[in-house]
Formats: sequence, C-alpha cells, structure tokens
Amino acid sequence: MNPFWIALIAVIVVPIIGGLLAGIDRKITARLQGRWGPPIVQPFFDFFKLLGKSRIATSRMQFVWIYGYLVFMIACLVFLVLKLDILLLVFLLGFAGVSFALGGFSCKSPYSHFGANRELLQMLSYEPVLLLMALGIYAQNGSFMISEIFNRSEPLLASLWPIFIALLVILTIKLRKSPFDISTSHHAHQELVKGIMTEYSGPYYALIQLTEWYEIVLLLGIIALFWANPLWVGILIALAAFILELFIDNIAARMTAGWMVRFSWAIGLVLCVLNIAYLYLMKGVS
Amino acid sequence: MDLNWMMAVAILLPLVAGILIFIFRHYQIRGLIVVITALALIINSIYFLKLGPVEYTPEGSNWGLAITVLDYLILLFYIYAGLSLRNWLVLIFALTQIVPLAYWEFGMGAHVELEPAFVVDHLAIVMTLVISIIGSLICIYAIRYMHDHEHHLHLEKSRQSRFLFWLVMFLGAMNGLVFANNLYWLYFFWEVTTLCCFQLIAHDLTKEAINNAARALWMNSLGGTAFILAMIYLYVNHGGADALSMQNIISGGLGQAAALLPVALLCFTGFTKAAQLPFQGWLLGAMVAPTPVSALLHSSTMVKAGVYLVVRLAPAFAGSYLGVMVALVGAFTFLGASGLAISQTTGKRVLAYSTIANLGLIIACAGINTPLAIAASILLIIFHAISKGLMFLCAGTIEHIIWSREIEDMEGLAEKAPVTTFITAIGILSMFLPPFGMLLAKWMALEAAYAVPLAAILFVLASAATIVFWAKWLGRLLQVLPRLGRKFESLSLSYSVPLWVLVIGIFVVGIGVAPVYEKFVHFAVNNVIAAEQVFAEGWNVLVPGVSAVTPLPAPAVGAYPVWPLFVVFGVALLLPFLFLALKPQELRPVYMCGEQVGDTDTDEWVTAADQKAKVQLGGYYFQNVLGEAALNPWVNTVAIALLLILFGVVLGVVLQ
Repeated sequence: MNPFWIALIAVIVVPIIGGLLAGIDRKITARLQGRWGPPIVQPFFDFFKLLGKSRIATSRMQFVWIYGYLVFMIACLVFLVLKLDILLLVFLLGFAGVSFALGGFSCKSPYSHFGANRELLQMLSYEPVLLLMALGIYAQNGSFMISEIFNRSEPLLASLWPIFIALLVILTIKLRKSPFDISTSHHAHQELVKGIMTEYSGPYYALIQLTEWYEIVLLLGIIALFWANPLWVGILIALAAFILELFIDNIAARMTAGWMVRFSWAIGLVLCVLNIAYLYLMKGVS
Repeated sequence: MDLNWMMAVAILLPLVAGILIFIFRHYQIRGLIVVITALALIINSIYFLKLGPVEYTPEGSNWGLAITVLDYLILLFYIYAGLSLRNWLVLIFALTQIVPLAYWEFGMGAHVELEPAFVVDHLAIVMTLVISIIGSLICIYAIRYMHDHEHHLHLEKSRQSRFLFWLVMFLGAMNGLVFANNLYWLYFFWEVTTLCCFQLIAHDLTKEAINNAARALWMNSLGGTAFILAMIYLYVNHGGADALSMQNIISGGLGQAAALLPVALLCFTGFTKAAQLPFQGWLLGAMVAPTPVSALLHSSTMVKAGVYLVVRLAPAFAGSYLGVMVALVGAFTFLGASGLAISQTTGKRVLAYSTIANLGLIIACAGINTPLAIAASILLIIFHAISKGLMFLCAGTIEHIIWSREIEDMEGLAEKAPVTTFITAIGILSMFLPPFGMLLAKWMALEAAYAVPLAAILFVLASAATIVFWAKWLGRLLQVLPRLGRKFESLSLSYSVPLWVLVIGIFVVGIGVAPVYEKFVHFAVNNVIAAEQVFAEGWNVLVPGVSAVTPLPAPAVGAYPVWPLFVVFGVALLLPFLFLALKPQELRPVYMCGEQVGDTDTDEWVTAADQKAKVQLGGYYFQNVLGEAALNPWVNTVAIALLLILFGVVLGVVLQ
C-alpha cells in the first residue's frame, strides 16, 4: 500500500484506539478503587465537550507550543507506522516533549511553571533510556530502521529483555502514572493542581488529550516492536504492559522528581548499558 | 582570479585591513573598511570553492625568514606579557616554547622549507567558507556593538580601532592555518590566533579580563609546546624537514606506528585550543570579552582551529587505539560540559559550555573515524558555526537591551523585544531539535558511534542533558504576562543584517543539507578518509523516497529527505505562530488559587499576613549536584586520567 495512505489511516484510527485505552484506564482504575467508573467511551464525550468551549488562553505563545506537541507526536507516529528510523523517532519525540514543556513555561503561572520544570526532569530521566533502546536495537539488527525489526524471525525480547524492563519504567514516566506523575497527574492532587496543564482549558486542553491518546498508542507500539513477528504477540505484550502500568499507578504513591531521575538512571540506564555491553562483547567473541 | 591574489586576499588582506583600521580612527571609515574586507573575504572564499583543491607555494625566499622572525617576536611578547603581568605560568610556557624552538633551529640547524607550503583541499575549503562568511558577519556586527559598548562604559578614549584590528586579523590567521601544509607555518598561524585571542580577551583591561586573557595564553602555550615537541620529534626521527609536511603525515608516508607520538602531541594541541576538559577554563574565562569576541572564538575561529587539527589528523590514527582514546576524550567532554551547562545561570556561560560540549562531539567523531563519523564531524563544524555565531550575537543584542547576561533577567523578553526573542528562539531550537542541522549531524554521530560503544553511551547521556539546559533557557525567554502590549524593537543595521543572514543560513543549510553535503562535505570527507560508502552505509537511515509527509519520487541514493521534517516544523510552530493570533479578550490571567490581587492582569498575589507580593518564578539549576564546585573535581580528574591513558597507550605502541 502507498505509504501516504498507511500514514493517513494511522493518523485517523490511532486516536480512536488511544481514546478507548484511556477509557479502559479510567474504568479499571475506578474498579481498583471500589468505584463504578465512567463508560469506556467517556473520554470521547469529554473531548467533544472541551472542543465546543470558547477559546481562552493565558499566553500568546502557549497554544503555539501545544500545536507543536500534537504535530510532532503525529510525526513520531508516522515514523512508526512507516517503519522508518527509530533513532530519529526518539529525537522527534524529544521535540514533542520540549514543546509541551515550553507551553508550560510560556505563561507566568507558578503551577504550570513547576510542572514544566519537572517535565524537563522527566525528559532527563527517559530520553537516555529511549536513545539507548535505539542503540540496543542497532546492536541487534545492524540498522536503526524499524522495517529491519520486522525482517527478523527471532523477537527482540529474547536478547533485549533488560532494555525492555527499562522501557517499562520509562512507560510509567511517559504515561504520567504514579510513582512518576510528577509534572502533572490524572488524579486530583491539591499540591499539583494540574501541574503543567493547569493553564489549559477548552479546545487547547482537548488538543492535549488528543496528543496523549496518540502518545499511548505510540509507546505501546514501540513496546510491541519487541515481538514483531508475529505482531499480535507483541500487541498482547503491549496491552499486558499497559494493564501492569494501571496496577502500579494504583498501588504506588508519587515520589519526588529527584528520586525519579536517580531511579531511572540507576535502574534503566544500568540495565540498558549492561545489555548493550553484553551484545557488543558477544559480537566480538563470535 | 589569480591564485596569488586569492591567497593574498585570504591571508594578508585582513592584516592590511587591520592596519588601515588602526590608522583611520573614524567610525564611518572604519566601518566601511570592515564591510569591504568582509565582502572581499566572502567572495574570495566562494572563488576557492569554485576553484577546487589546489597547491600553492609563495614565490620569493623571504617568506620563511619573515615567519621565523615573527614567530620569535610573538614568543618574546609572551615572555614580556608573563613578566609584566607577573604571571609565572605564562612565562614558563612561553619559555618552554621558545627554548626548544631556538635550540631546534639554531642548535640543530633546522631549516624548514617545503613544497607545497599550502595545500587547499576540500576540508580547507569548507573551513575557509565557514571562517570567511561567518567570521565576516561577526566583524560587521562588531562595528556597531563596540560603539554601543564604549558608549555604555563611558570611555574617554576610544579603543575600537585596536579591537577591530585584532578581530579582523584573526580571520587571516585562521585562513592561513587551515591552508598550511608546512607544519612550521601552521605553527606560526596557530600562535597568531593565540595572540589575537589574548589581545581580544584582555581588551577591556579590567583585572578579570587580564587574568582570564593570561589563562587563555598559558593554556594555549601549553598546546603550542606540544606542537613544537611534535615538530622536533618528526624532524629528528623521520629525516629532517620533509617529515613536517601535513599531507605526508596523514597519507601515512611515515608509517602509522612511528608517527603516532607526534600525532598524539598534535591532537593534544588541538584539545587545548578546542577547550576540551580539563582545559575548559580559558574558554569560559574568555566570556568577559565583548560579545563579538565570544561569537568569533566560538563559531568560526580559535576553537574550530583545534577541532580542525584533530579532524585533519584523523587518517593518521585510523584504526589505532589513539583513535579510540580521542573518541573517549571528546565524548567525555561532551557529557561533562553538557552536565555543567545545566547549572549555569549566565546565558553566555551556558553557550560556552554548549560550545565545549559540541567541540567534544566533533572530536569524538574524528576519533571514531568511520566515513559517517567524519561526515558528521564536518557537518557539525558547519552547523555549529552558524548556530553558535547566531546565538552569541543574540546574547550580545539581548545584553544591549537589558544590560544583563543572567538568564533569570531575560524573563519576559518575548514582550520586551519580540524580534530578538524570535531570532534567539530559532537559534536555540536549531541547536538541539529536529529538523535542524545540528541534530541531524548529532543523529549521524550517534549512528556512527556504535563503533565505540562507550562513546555512544556518553553521547546519549549528554544529549539528554542538552535538552534540559536549552529548553530551560528558552522557557525563560518566552515566559510573559499577557496583555502588557508589545512593541517591536528596532535594531541597527549592523546588528540586524548579520542576525537575519545567519537565521536564513540556518534554514538554507538545514533544508538543503543534501546539496550541502554533496557539494562540499562529501569531498572533504574524502580528503580525510576514503569514503565512497558514506551514503550506502549511513544515509539509508531514512528510506529513500519515503518521507514523513509526502511520498517523494525515488531519488538517487544519497538524497536526504529532510525537508519533510521542515514542513512538519513549519506546520507545527510557524503556521500557528503567524496566523492564529489570539484576540485580546481571549487572554486571561493565570490561576493562582484565588490569591491573585484583583482579577485584572497582574502578577501580584496575596501572601502571608495579607501582604502583596510579586510572583517570582525561576528555573532549576541544581547548583549543589551539577554546579561547578561540585562537579569540576570529578570531571577534571577523569579528563586528566583520560589524557594520561591516551599518552600511555601511544607510548606503549611507540616503545614496542
């Protein structure tokens, strides 16, 4: 199929999947907390309601960065579905994250400001692990192309399982789940308010929601790459990882930002580095 | 054009122009001379591009004598400087240069005449384009900047002529440096750049300026000493003057193992000039100088001489452990300097650390030494020169708007000076985000780095740190109180022309990276390393013909579909920025838990005991973890250890 159509279909379908995943998230979380929970399609109701509200902003630049966040997240997704370079995908994801943080910085609001500062700390925590993941994939495949992953018969998980574990830690940070819901949280916390998202409302907030849906699917897609042949196993693994995150979210308490950086560097980085070192040495031996 | 004239314009014209500037002490005439010189240099460098590789030896036998005499004059001046400043380090390292040099020339009777004296190959052409174009723009910027600078300082006697003399002459010395094939002549130009640097840093004549200039002098003299030792070693062990031809060394004419020690010494010289850890001190100290100096030192001259020398020497250590060690020294500098940059509160110091970090990356690429890595290093030299030149000019412009260099003072600059902020934002984004050239080169570096995995891991950590300090700074600039009303500031032509030319340069070179690569970088890579396979190995990372936005017709191998990313960039940021302006009534005050004073637009809130206070926000700097006091001992220890290992490895090979 023409890559253009693949990309277009992905851009249309993915937010629907992402919205449903967000609905499942709310439902399971509610059940874990002994509540009934909203219907699974509730995120879509919220989304359209937010879209219909009038435009209000606290800064002229803020909404520009939100568009940047959305567009670059979509670009990442296109890179994934067209099976392009995974290293460039990670860099693009970095731009999306920076855009979001800059949106937080662009108004003189204490809540969004500390949220933005913490968002940068989150990036400091997860960016090296994502880059090392790309490097690990290169060590296995001799290429950064995602298409090469699909050409292998052996799943990446077999040799890259330490990196996979590190990636699960990163997934918690990226999905803003406890113990890493540092810059903003999906649950009500008076000390955070809504962190970096405090100053967004109406359609702009809807855009953030939409971006988050893209992001969920993108991240789960990257996880699915670890078992790309057959892909349905990878998708099941990704869904299992998602459910696992929900449990962790509900049993963990939020930790401090400094702890997050130390934890992800100590656990995530060490796992990645050992993994790559092992692969490199094995290659040298053979 | 005649080659004699082209060489004269490239190397001697800046000197002549400098002398003229020194004589005619009138603002307009001086400015005119600088602008004409700048244009001549730019056109001349383009002629070099059209001419292609060429060898040149000046006619007449007196050039060698003149260079020898000037060499001793410069070194005697260093001794004088050491004595008059009572700076013993300056004195010691001046003596360690002049004594061996004198012994070598008069004791051993060395006489170095080589044909060709200059070899202008593609790498040199890339360098001369960078030096002539970006350096000239900075000189133009300096005309007005120094005027404002002295106005602000209320000087009685203008010293602008003296300043511009050294600034313009710098470009000539750099051109000579990148063309020189004769190591003895290369050494002479090397010393001229050190001298210019010393004079420019000391320009303001404050105590701090003089101290920092002295530090730059002794650190670079240490490098100069290593240079002299390398020359003497080559002369003694490899049969006289012929061994001092750069082309001979890098083509392996001396045998790799035998030449490894002098090559390591020359790399060390490059490290000192490129301010690699632990020699970062002089470049940070150089920040006291007026901003055009910083812009020039950081973008197109001085530090680029250091990385140029290492990239130039890359074939001489290909495949050896020296290459691995060079890669590690560079990669460690990349990480160390990026980490230190997070804790810096001054804009120019952030820029300085970022420069050191990127130079480390370039040197690491030279050390990795695959075709892809060399291509990355040359692209980094180009992109870094443009972006960093722009960033420093922005920093200078901001300084002349708010008269401060502190990042925290730049809060809300987007309202006070929207044009400058816009340009600065482009500059910052171009340093670390896709689709701009710096990131693409970094991405190539990372793809190449797998050859030295330890370096790759250092790269990864460093590039995460890079994101933090740039985004933090950009966040400060953009943070505004809405509805204050904004006025577009007017910048003088001498400011705005270089700024906008560099902004356009960033986009042109970034979008046109494929032609830029094919037109000159590819050949330059070939100069360094036989690189037929660069495209096949490295450029297939984006599938040819498939791009993120539009399917392209399948191009020839080697086309680099990076422009779709620029389309994404435009759609994401520029379009909303330009066309989706909010109406004033759509802007609201921020949320402050109901503690805001009144409901109008204000940044005051009700604090304890019903006192009113201004909201004060700031970035995170982590002084106690990443500050210089906390990190420097560790970083410097590791860096010194790496240098010792480097020489240990080389001596191990040589003594075998």
